[in-house]
Amino acid sequence: MRKGVMLGTPGPVAALLFGLLALDWFPAAQPLAAQRFGRRDLMDPYECAELRAAYSGKFTFLRLYYSRPNRAGGYFRRGRGWGWDGWAHDCPVAERHLMTIIEELTSIAPNRDGSNSLAADDPEIFKYPVAYISEPGQWALTDAEALNLRKYLEKGGFLIVDDFNGRDWFNFEEIMLQVLPNAHIVRLDQSHEIFNSFFYIDSLDRLTDPTSYGLPSEFHGIFEDNDPSKRLMVIVNYNNDIGDAWEWSDTGYIPVDLTNEAYKLGINYLVYSMTH
Amino acid sequence: MDRVFEFLFKYRPVVFERGDVSFQPPWPLWALLLVVSIGALIALAPYARASAKLRLRDRVALSALRVLALGVLLFCLARPILVVAVVVPQQNFLGILVDNSQSMRIADPDRPRGQIATELFGPESPIVSALSERFKVRFFSFADGAKRIGTLHEVAFDGRRTDLARSLEDVKGELGSLPLAGLIVVTDGGHNTATPLDPALLGLKAGKVPVHVVGLGQERIDREVEVLRADVPTMVMAGSAVAVDVTVGHSGLAGQTVPIRVEDEGRIVGVGQVQLPRDGEAGTTRLNFTAETGGARRLRFVVPPLEGEKIVENNSLDRVVEVQSGRQKILYYEGEPRFEVKFLRRAIEGDENLQVVVLLRTAQDKYLRLDVSDSTELASGFPGTREELFRYKGLVLGSIEASSFPPDQLRMISDFVSRRGGGLLVLGGRNAFAEGGYTGTPLADALPVVIEGPPRGEDYDFFDEVKVVPTPAGSAHPALQLARGGKDPATLWDALPQLSILNPVTEVKPGATLLLEGRGGRGDTYVVLAHHRFGRGKALALLPQDTWMWQMHADVAPEDSTHEALWQQLLRWVVSDVPDPVSITATPDRVEPGTPITFVAQVADSTFLGVNGAEVTATVVAPSGAQESIPMGWTVERDGEYRATFVPKEEGMHEVRVAASRAGNSLGSGTTHMDAGDIGAEFRGPGMRAPLLRSLAEQTGGGFYTAETASRLPEDVSITEAGATVREERDLWDMPALFLLLLGLIGGEWAYRKRRGLP
Repeated sequence: MRKGVMLGTPGPVAALLFGLLALDWFPAAQPLAAQRFGRRDLMDPYECAELRAAYSGKFTFLRLYYSRPNRAGGYFRRGRGWGWDGWAHDCPVAERHLMTIIEELTSIAPNRDGSNSLAADDPEIFKYPVAYISEPGQWALTDAEALNLRKYLEKGGFLIVDDFNGRDWFNFEEIMLQVLPNAHIVRLDQSHEIFNSFFYIDSLDRLTDPTSYGLPSEFHGIFEDNDPSKRLMVIVNYNNDIGDAWEWSDTGYIPVDLTNEAYKLGINYLVYSMTH
Repeated sequence: MDRVFEFLFKYRPVVFERGDVSFQPPWPLWALLLVVSIGALIALAPYARASAKLRLRDRVALSALRVLALGVLLFCLARPILVVAVVVPQQNFLGILVDNSQSMRIADPDRPRGQIATELFGPESPIVSALSERFKVRFFSFADGAKRIGTLHEVAFDGRRTDLARSLEDVKGELGSLPLAGLIVVTDGGHNTATPLDPALLGLKAGKVPVHVVGLGQERIDREVEVLRADVPTMVMAGSAVAVDVTVGHSGLAGQTVPIRVEDEGRIVGVGQVQLPRDGEAGTTRLNFTAETGGARRLRFVVPPLEGEKIVENNSLDRVVEVQSGRQKILYYEGEPRFEVKFLRRAIEGDENLQVVVLLRTAQDKYLRLDVSDSTELASGFPGTREELFRYKGLVLGSIEASSFPPDQLRMISDFVSRRGGGLLVLGGRNAFAEGGYTGTPLADALPVVIEGPPRGEDYDFFDEVKVVPTPAGSAHPALQLARGGKDPATLWDALPQLSILNPVTEVKPGATLLLEGRGGRGDTYVVLAHHRFGRGKALALLPQDTWMWQMHADVAPEDSTHEALWQQLLRWVVSDVPDPVSITATPDRVEPGTPITFVAQVADSTFLGVNGAEVTATVVAPSGAQESIPMGWTVERDGEYRATFVPKEEGMHEVRVAASRAGNSLGSGTTHMDAGDIGAEFRGPGMRAPLLRSLAEQTGGGFYTAETASRLPEDVSITEAGATVREERDLWDMPALFLLLLGLIGGEWAYRKRRGLP
């Protein structure tokens, strides 16, 4: 019999509090005026696309960007124009907050000095086996990008897909099949071990994102060889936006419970990706 | 040389060796001295007188020559004799032992040794006729024992081993009560059993029975190659890479390269080449192959016959290897979630022989267990007792600081290697080695590398990327045979991406082996992989923090299996020879039926302390299914070591099971295998072993002969103290050497005088 077992308790109090404590942990706490709904120190997508962290062996956040003109919402738009660059949403505050939280709560050694934003065809992505992509409703890939991302996933890379809902699914599915033509995107339930790799997440029903028009959150995944007993290569947060929750966790914009759940998911994803 | 000696001294050296010199003067001694003195006075008188032409020096020289000549004359007049003991004709027995082993079929230089023996000692042989006139001759054939025969025509030369000691004892036992004048051993010198020769020789020496040896064959056979040894591990894991050092001897093939292969039940599993050094030296090569099938495997190492090679039976060597197909359990204790965990697990995912149980500290006092056998395993975290830790065969320590262990646990980890015999692999990381605070701890003692300095501080930021290069030892190491599908190993290592190091270790301990080194960006060289034996076990240090780069890096193809091969082979090697509490070995692992074999069992309790008062039984299951139980006794030499001897009667693979118990409680059991069959001992070292045979003859007072000199045997054998003998006096005064000496002295005086112008 082979199975994974988690020791200790998830520390529910801490789980509830860290969203609040993040206010203090965040090293460069923003002036109060900046902590309101709206863009604070978010970067211009062009700036975000330039984020590069030197490889150090520490866990470094990798955000994938896409730049090809693509089709979304029934019409063409440029992917890199301000306001349309879903890949850069929450950049870089979300990743900074997440790094702070994992340093405080886990034994993971995070890189808090920087993060990466790379195109899918960049060979550097292979140095960072966890990648995050936001708003795949606008996502598009060249053949080279798709091939590189396929290699990344086959070799052992793990992809977190976040921040999309509704009709965005169709574009995401199309692009995902471009990357992995034989992939079966399957819905996950709470019993999957990714929801128990660090925090025990007993229900996935509390994760409805307020920006998703009240649609219930869903979690989907793609398994290696489409075999659910094997490694999960891609985790898909549909009708959800945990990056948004990470970004706004030091404000009152998103309820603290939801922020907590977003961090729990993020940490679980990372621990799972480092062990499976 | 003997002929010259015999010409000068009338008799052969052996007669002088066995005789005593004496004198039988015809006159009383005083008369002799008087005659010689008068003669000396007359002879020396001319030189005593002073002469203008003679200097003092000339007078002294000429006088000395004349005195010496008179001395020789006096010696002859004293009638020197040689007193020797010679056998009384037909009153003594003589045993002729003819080697019946297979090596007597070897044809060197032109016809089989056995044929030469038959020619020399067959019924029509002049030697035998001459011997028969003086002795009652008894013939024996011998191999692993001696057997009385009528004539040499009964000898088939088919013995598979030669036990000279036992054969001599057998003959001595049969003829010992008779007046025995000696033994003649006709052989090529093979003595290839473990029976010591000395006791047999002592018996013969005590009985004053000389052993005369006729050595057949050439000491050196040209264009000959032989597989001398193959150093195989006793036990390997199924599917593991195995490295075997094979030693090949030769004569007349210096500088040549010969192919060599490994066969598993006739199937070629590995090939290689060996370059042969100069004559008299053996060449060694390392063969790498994979042990695929579990169970006891009979591996054959073969050098194909060379053109013109006379002896091909020694071109192969069989060895038995236990291939374990069970799962070996390894505990991987990691202090931080990192990608090494993921990729290590993935690398060994399909390996049915490895179970890596991961205990991962995900946060302070929070652990994740992966691949545990049941819900209780490691439920309290890292094993707190030796009993619990020693259940694992291997231990991998990741980036986990020393301070996380209570002091006794660090000692326990050290004991895991030294006492339990487990395999320890310590990985690099921000909390490993000196940076993890291990300097001066018991774990540092176990490591193969030198670590110095305090734990890493908050501002510690050492980081370097290294190009990994195998050392010569690493290139040949079984765990590092990473090339697959005919890939060139050098190209493979060259193509591997750089890895990064957080622990700048630059020195291995004395006795440790550096397998991989890393060349850093600043020109520094670091230890990447090293190992050494520590007590009963082995410890390894693998310094890079991200071997997963060899799986993920952009330059590595998705189908590349280098990373999997590295981890599977490394972990297999770590646990490859880790003992169980109860184990047994057979030495040697291949013998001829009828040859004793020694079983040694190691019996320990669950904390691997040797148990001396146990009841230990070995059960041997023969190929026919017949079982024999043998009680094993404590050796007293070492705690927990038990020994027994077994003589196989059947040919084929025997299973040997050992079970140990104490006070009715089982301590455990173990299994090994041994093989009985033709081990080709007669063709190992096929040249005539002259040193052994000479020693045999010298120690017993006999002589050593070859086919060419065997005709001297009848006379030499007759001169002996053994058996019924009479004293025989032989004159020495008429030895040509004496006359030549006398002539020389007189001639010398004459020549000297001429040279000085004297009349």
